Amino acid sequence: MVDSQDMVKKVFTQKSARIDTNKGEKYYNNLFEKAKQRLSILKKQAPLKDIDMVDVIETEGINRRDFIKWVSATTATLMLPSMFEPLVAQATELMNRVPVVWIELQDCAGNSEALLRSASPTVDDLLFDVISLEFHETLQAAAGHDADRQLEDAVEHFKGQYLLFVEGAIPMANNGMYGTIGASGETFHEHLMRMSKDAAAVVAVGTCATFGGIPAASPNPTGAVGVMDLVKGKPLINIPACPANPANIVGVILHYILTGQVPELDSLLRPKFAFGYRIHDNCERRAHFDAGEFVEEFGDDGAKNNWCLYKVGCKGPMTFNNCSIIRYNEGTNWPVGVGRGCIGCSEPDFWDKYAYQRPMAGANIKAPTGGVEKTVDEFGLGLLTATAVGIGVHAVASAVAGKKSEHNEEE
Amino acid sequence: MKTLNIIERIEGEAKLVCTWKENKISDAQIQFLNFRGFEYILNNKPALDALIYTPRICGICGQAHLKATAEALENIYKSINEPLYITDKAKLLREIGLNIEIIDSHIKWFYIFIMPDIAKLSKEQKYLKYEALKGESWRKGTYAASESIKALAVFAGQWPHTSYMIPGGVMSDPTLFDIITMQNYMDQTLHFLEKELIGTDIEKYFSFDSELDLDTLNATLSDFKNLCFENDLHILGKSYNSHITLSDTSLFESGRIEVKNRLLVDLSLIDEKDINTFKINEQKKENEYTWAKTALYNNKPYETGPLSRALISNRKLIKNIHKTYGDSVFTRVMARMDELINLVFITKKLIKQIDLSQESYIPAKIDLKDIESATSISTVEAARGSLLHKVTIENAIIKDYDVITPSVWNLGPGIGDKFGIAQKAIIGADSIEKAHIILRSFDVCSVCTTH
Repeated sequence: MVDSQDMVKKVFTQKSARIDTNKGEKYYNNLFEKAKQRLSILKKQAPLKDIDMVDVIETEGINRRDFIKWVSATTATLMLPSMFEPLVAQATELMNRVPVVWIELQDCAGNSEALLRSASPTVDDLLFDVISLEFHETLQAAAGHDADRQLEDAVEHFKGQYLLFVEGAIPMANNGMYGTIGASGETFHEHLMRMSKDAAAVVAVGTCATFGGIPAASPNPTGAVGVMDLVKGKPLINIPACPANPANIVGVILHYILTGQVPELDSLLRPKFAFGYRIHDNCERRAHFDAGEFVEEFGDDGAKNNWCLYKVGCKGPMTFNNCSIIRYNEGTNWPVGVGRGCIGCSEPDFWDKYAYQRPMAGANIKAPTGGVEKTVDEFGLGLLTATAVGIGVHAVASAVAGKKSEHNEEE
Repeated sequence: MKTLNIIERIEGEAKLVCTWKENKISDAQIQFLNFRGFEYILNNKPALDALIYTPRICGICGQAHLKATAEALENIYKSINEPLYITDKAKLLREIGLNIEIIDSHIKWFYIFIMPDIAKLSKEQKYLKYEALKGESWRKGTYAASESIKALAVFAGQWPHTSYMIPGGVMSDPTLFDIITMQNYMDQTLHFLEKELIGTDIEKYFSFDSELDLDTLNATLSDFKNLCFENDLHILGKSYNSHITLSDTSLFESGRIEVKNRLLVDLSLIDEKDINTFKINEQKKENEYTWAKTALYNNKPYETGPLSRALISNRKLIKNIHKTYGDSVFTRVMARMDELINLVFITKKLIKQIDLSQESYIPAKIDLKDIESATSISTVEAARGSLLHKVTIENAIIKDYDVITPSVWNLGPGIGDKFGIAQKAIIGADSIEKAHIILRSFDVCSVCTTH
């Protein structure tokens, strides 16, 4: 049996071993050629909208330099070397070739709200002008029956081509009575199945759509589940977090435009470029963790000196996400930055496993060199459980999504 | 004749079922058909966990829920006569955070949700700039909202869904640099309001005492006024004209108004009914048609929100407009915009008042776990009106959690022959487009309504 203390120590001190950030020259050269071809094919297609990025940049007076900065940041977010920057810029210009349909189910609209605040050049330029957002119930121009019709038209017209974004969980209890949509009273479940049937790929955005999220928290009164529990036999990408980081949403779209395929995914179907490492690995307070300097209670001297938040409940060491790097609200800040600690919102069942007080408020942990103590057993167990869940999900969540993604960039 | 319409471009979706008599709406049912069950989920959870759960009730007003939870738990201490001491700094950071969220919500609601619909009533070329997604004003509004909310992210870590408040204070400890950054964002927001929304500087706006003053300007508010008057929106959308505000802030006063009389509020007279509401795990009955409940004060329906707040705290311009046009769509929307302008002004002042040398958080002397059993209530002014949280805990475990959101007051179903607030406002409209706008004038949020 693995000594859980040793295991936890290892988890806490390892480098970001979950992702290979450098895949070698040959790999990138191959990918570069493939992307170039893909973009030249896309370029020949008629745009779905007559606006393109160059126009937008010019008419909006966005500083060209700012745009280039954004391109290089996005290339880095996608974990591609800088030689890809011109291609990413081109992909941005070709966003109007890929139709996007966005549906909201059992949600709080938080992910849409976050998306409205995507990185500059502002999302209204990027997504709303350039991307062909065929349907988004909160943001679109149409309302009422027109909106209904617009959705049906988009799904029919772009059969097999559109990316379906799903925000919100799906309530399955009592024949789906907890969520219905449209004039016909179709249940969220029926709606999701109908909309995903002809999608090129399905992207679940936010922890509700990916893992059931807050509606699925115990006792799960509405029988909420995530998209991957229902949609099978289709490329599926999960972008969890509450809210999902808009940089990752835009990243997934750009990656799709660039390669025509879903990005490399982990066992929970999360893109590795965003969820390949723990926030702990790149946390600005990490040095204090290593030095054994902890906030013991909010408002204490440690808090004033920005020490490590682990003892007041930070779940950074077991949370896979890139928010310690890209942050929120266009890089303005992130929870750990203001002394709040990570709540593990991109992990499955974090409501029940990771919520605020547990298990770490009482954890008595010192820096790895000083040894790992008692209550660590508890979350050592938690980590093992999480891994087991991950493996289970991988086996269930259709071979198509998982395998395809593993192949796509390695050939 | 009966018609069924879908209301989108709110948060979530609503169905509007209207009965028509002689080309006018004679009855209206507002249906909310999405439910998550927060009150069930919160049961038996550790009390402090609620700080993470309740902000997720809504992607737009999470700050309001966070503040309500933090203060409900603080009121638990008050209820056992061991009140916590909250520094002015923590109080200010909470109010500023909430204000910024409301500022963001009002800008977005006006430019993204209601103006495109109102502009659509006219064929005139000049109003095309309000068109959703494409229009220049739509985009400028979106941009202004996302810039203003950064002032909150600076000390709250992110938005939406921040949880930086905690019973006893706040977790964050902003620096002078953070304060200056917040001021800069607020200055930008003010600049946007002066240039795009009002069309003149804020001092001049504060000297206005009638809607006629708007005619001297050429900006969104004057376009809005013209569109309203061309389409009778200054006459339509009237409800009971009874108003309630449950809590006080630097800008708002609590109270209620009924037929011009201003009266005090007694929280114990608030009651939530579910006669027309679906029940969990039960077959629906004939009369049940929505997940929304009905909130009543002393058994009567009251409107809550920016118009109620403006009237109760006596803000001049809105008071005067209300005298002439009552609780119409025009008055209601103007009240929300007037609140936006006042909030930006006051929030700038509040940021200046922060004394960085004070503590952010002072721990309680008594652990929640040692409080055997207690119940408490908190009230908060959210973007759409008054929010109420009521919690019962036993040894730090939640035994009952009840949330009454502003949209339950405004959009919940009527009972018997007593129509709900928005229901009554819609009755009498002569087109479905106008009915949509009347409903929208309450700033509809389906996820808050049902939670």
